Amino acid sequence: MRRYSFMLLAGLGLAVPVAHAAPFKCPTTGGDFVFGQEANINTLDQMTSSTISTRNIAMNIYETLMTRDDNNRPILELAASMEEAPDRLTYTFKLRPNIHFHNGKPMTSADVVASFDRYSKVGNQRSTLDNVKSWDAPDASTFVIHMKVVQPTFIEALSSFSVPIVIIPSENRDVAAQQLTNPIGTGPFQLVESVPGSFVKLKRYDAYQPNTSFENRTGFGGYKVACLDTVTFRIVTEPGARVAGLKTGELHAVEDLPTKSLPDLKKDPKITILPLNNWWIQIADPNTSAPPTDNLLVRKAIQAALDMDEIMDAASDGNYRLNVGFQYPNQPSYTDAGKETYNLHNADLAKKYLTEAGYKGEPVILMTNKDYPSMYNAALVMQQQLQAVGINAQMKVVDWPTSVQLMLNTTEGWNFHFTGWGTQPALGALATMQFLVQPNATYKPKGGVDDPEVLAIWKEMNDLPTAEGRQAAFAKMQKLVLEKVYAIPFGSYTKVQGTRANVGGFAPFRIPRMSNVWLTR
Amino acid sequence: MGRVLVQRLGSALPIMLIVSLITFGMIHMIPGDPAIAIAGISATAEQIANIRHDLGLDQPVLTQLWRWYANLLIGDLGRSLLLGQPVVQVMMQRLPVTLALSAYALVLTLTIGLVSGIVAALKQNTWIDQATMVFAMLGISLPNFYLGLLMIILFAVDLGWLPTGGYVALSKDPLGWLATSTMPAISLALLLAGLLARITRSTMLEVLRQDYIRTARAKGLPNHRVVLKHALANALIPITTVVGIIISLLISGSVVTETLFSIPGVGQLLTQAVLNRDYPMVQGGLLITTALLVLVNILVDVCYALLDPRVRYDGA
Repeated sequence: MRRYSFMLLAGLGLAVPVAHAAPFKCPTTGGDFVFGQEANINTLDQMTSSTISTRNIAMNIYETLMTRDDNNRPILELAASMEEAPDRLTYTFKLRPNIHFHNGKPMTSADVVASFDRYSKVGNQRSTLDNVKSWDAPDASTFVIHMKVVQPTFIEALSSFSVPIVIIPSENRDVAAQQLTNPIGTGPFQLVESVPGSFVKLKRYDAYQPNTSFENRTGFGGYKVACLDTVTFRIVTEPGARVAGLKTGELHAVEDLPTKSLPDLKKDPKITILPLNNWWIQIADPNTSAPPTDNLLVRKAIQAALDMDEIMDAASDGNYRLNVGFQYPNQPSYTDAGKETYNLHNADLAKKYLTEAGYKGEPVILMTNKDYPSMYNAALVMQQQLQAVGINAQMKVVDWPTSVQLMLNTTEGWNFHFTGWGTQPALGALATMQFLVQPNATYKPKGGVDDPEVLAIWKEMNDLPTAEGRQAAFAKMQKLVLEKVYAIPFGSYTKVQGTRANVGGFAPFRIPRMSNVWLTR
Repeated sequence: MGRVLVQRLGSALPIMLIVSLITFGMIHMIPGDPAIAIAGISATAEQIANIRHDLGLDQPVLTQLWRWYANLLIGDLGRSLLLGQPVVQVMMQRLPVTLALSAYALVLTLTIGLVSGIVAALKQNTWIDQATMVFAMLGISLPNFYLGLLMIILFAVDLGWLPTGGYVALSKDPLGWLATSTMPAISLALLLAGLLARITRSTMLEVLRQDYIRTARAKGLPNHRVVLKHALANALIPITTVVGIIISLLISGSVVTETLFSIPGVGQLLTQAVLNRDYPMVQGGLLITTALLVLVNILVDVCYALLDPRVRYDGA
C-alpha cells in the first residue's frame, strides 16, 4: 500500500511541502476587510454551484479532503494522510484531528460520508464519483473510498475546485440542491450575514485549526490563519463604483479594474495594482454540424485569417497574453503543440483554403452576447477579419443564457459560439479537454457522435498509468483539436485586481483568499 | 367611498391573474434557463444538465404552470431558483429597501418639483421661470447613471462627504441609511422632480388664468391664500395623477441607480431574475409588485375623491 502523507510522493504528482520552518504569523490582527466583488452571488451552497462568485466567498468557509496548491498540484487539506491500495481500487483517508465545524461540532468521518452522500445526489460535478463503488467510515477518523475500476486520474478529479466536495456536517446530508442557505464548514471564516445583491459578511472562526503540515497558505489549502476580524464581500457590479471605492479606501481590494482607470490608479501611492494573469482563455467554439463550418477547409480558412493580437486587444481592453492552446504557460501541463495553427493572420492562405473548400459566400454566424463584453468584442473583431478575406461573417447577438442554450440544444442558426474557459484550464488538461467529448463536445460533432480520434486520445489521457504518458496524450489532443479546428483559442485574458497599500498578504489567485491577509494600521 | 374601494379591489384580482399568466408565458418563452446562470461561465454541459434536473426545469411547461397556480392558491409563490429562498422572503427583504429609498426620493421629488413648478408659474416669463425650467429639463435629460457617477466622483472621491455605495438599513442605523441613500435618492429625484415641475407649472398656469382666481384676487385675498387655497388645490388633481405614476416608478425600483450604488432593491432583484431566468422569482416578484401598484392606483383614486368633492365616485 502506498501512503501519501504530507511528505507526499511525486508519483501522483502531488505537492510535497518543504521542510518545516516557522509557520505564518499574522503581522497584525483585526479589522474589517472590504472586498469589492464584481458579480452577484446566487448561492453559498458550494456543492451545487460552479460559479466563480460563489467560490470567491464559499471557499473561505468550506474545506475539502484534498485541494490544490499554488501550482495547481493536489494537496491534502482535511485529510492528514491518504493511502492508495496496491490494486489502486481503494483510497483510505485519515482525517486531521481536532477539526471542528463552525457550529462547534467535531468533524468525523461520518460527516465526510454524509458530504459524499449529498454530493453524489446533488453535486454539480457528481460524475467525479462515477467510478466509485462505495465509501465508508470504519472508524471516526478514517474514510475509505472503494473504486469500481482503476482511475489513474481520480485524485486529480477529487481535488478539483471546480465544484469541490466540501465537507459539511452530517445533519445537512439531505438538504436539497441550492437549498443550503446556512453554510457551515470548517474553514478559517464563518458566515455572519448574506444579503443577496448587497454584501456577504464573514467573521474569523476562532476555533479554526491551521494545517500544521504547511508553513503558509498555498492555493486553496496550506497553513491558513484568519488575521482579520471580519471580511465583507460587497457586491459592486459597476466598474466605476469599484474604482471610486478603492480610491476612497471604502474598499480594501477589488477585482476586475477597468483598463481606462489604471493609469490614474497607478499614480496613487496608496493603491497597488495586481494583474491576475491567465484568468481565462478567450475562445470561440465552432459548430461542425452546420454548413459552412462543417467543412474542415472552411474552418482552416477562418483559423488562418485571424490576428489574435487584434482580437485579444479588443476583447481584454489590452490586458492579455498570446497563448497557444488550452493550458496557461505557467502550468506544468502547458504545451505549445499545434502552434503552427495559431495566430497566422495569413489572408492568402485563408483564401486558398476557401477556394479548395468551394466556399460560395454562405453566412458564417458568430453567436455572441453583450453580457460579457470580451466575448462581444472578440466576435466583432473576428467578423471584420473574416470579411476582409471574403467570408460572409455575420453577428448574432443574444444574451448569455440564450447563447449557451442555443449552443447546447441546436446545431442550426450559428457557426461559432463565443465563450471563455477559466476554471477548467486552471484545473489542468483533463478538466479542460472534457469540453471536447460528450456530453459536452463543444464543437457539436455531427449526429452527436464524437470524432473517434478525439475519443481515442481522451481515453489515453484518462487511462494511461503515468503522468508523463497522460501529458503526452494531452499534447496529441491539443494538436489534433487545433488542426481540426474544433476550437479557436484566442489568448489568455488578464484580470486586474487592486488593493489599498495598507493591505498585506493579498495575492492574486482564482479566488480572493482571505486567510493570511492583514490590515496594517 | 366604501363601494368604490370594494369595486377597485374586486377588479384587482383579474388584473393580477392576467399579469401572472402573461408573466409566466413571457418568461418561459425567452430562450435560456436558470440552470445556465447557476452553472456559471465555465460550466460543462453535464453540470448544466444536473442543475436543470435537480430544479425540475426538465418538466413540461404545462406541468410547471399547473404547479405554479396550485401553489399560488395556497399562497406559496415558490422559491427563487438562484437564491434558494422563498420568493416572499426575498421580496420582504428587498421591499423595505426600495420603499425606504422611494420615500426619500419622493420627499425630494415633491419638495423640488412642486416648489419649483409653483414658483415658475408665478414668475412666468421671468429669468426665474426660465432658470427653473432649464433645471427641470436638465433633470429629465441627464441620465441618472451619469448623474450618479458624477455625484460619486464629487461627493465621495473628491470631497469625501458620502460613501461611494453600499446600503445600511434604516432600522439598523438611521444616519448610515441617510449617508448611503442620499446620492441614490437625489439621482432618482432629479429626473422625477423635473417632470413634476413641468406638470405643476403648466397646470398652475392654466388654473391661475381661471375666472375664480381673478375673483379671489378681486375680493382682496392675500396672494399666498389665492395660490395655495384656490390655485394649488384645484391644480392638485392632475398633479396627483403624476405623483401616482412617480410612486409606481419608484416602487418598481430603479435598476440603474440600485446597480450603481450597490443597493439591494427590488429593481435590481427582478432584473437579475429576468436575466438569469429565475422563473419563480420573476413570477412571484412581479405579482407582488403588481399588487403594490394596484394599491397605489386605488389610493390615487381615493385622493381624487378627497381633493375634489365634485368627483362623484358613489355614482360611478
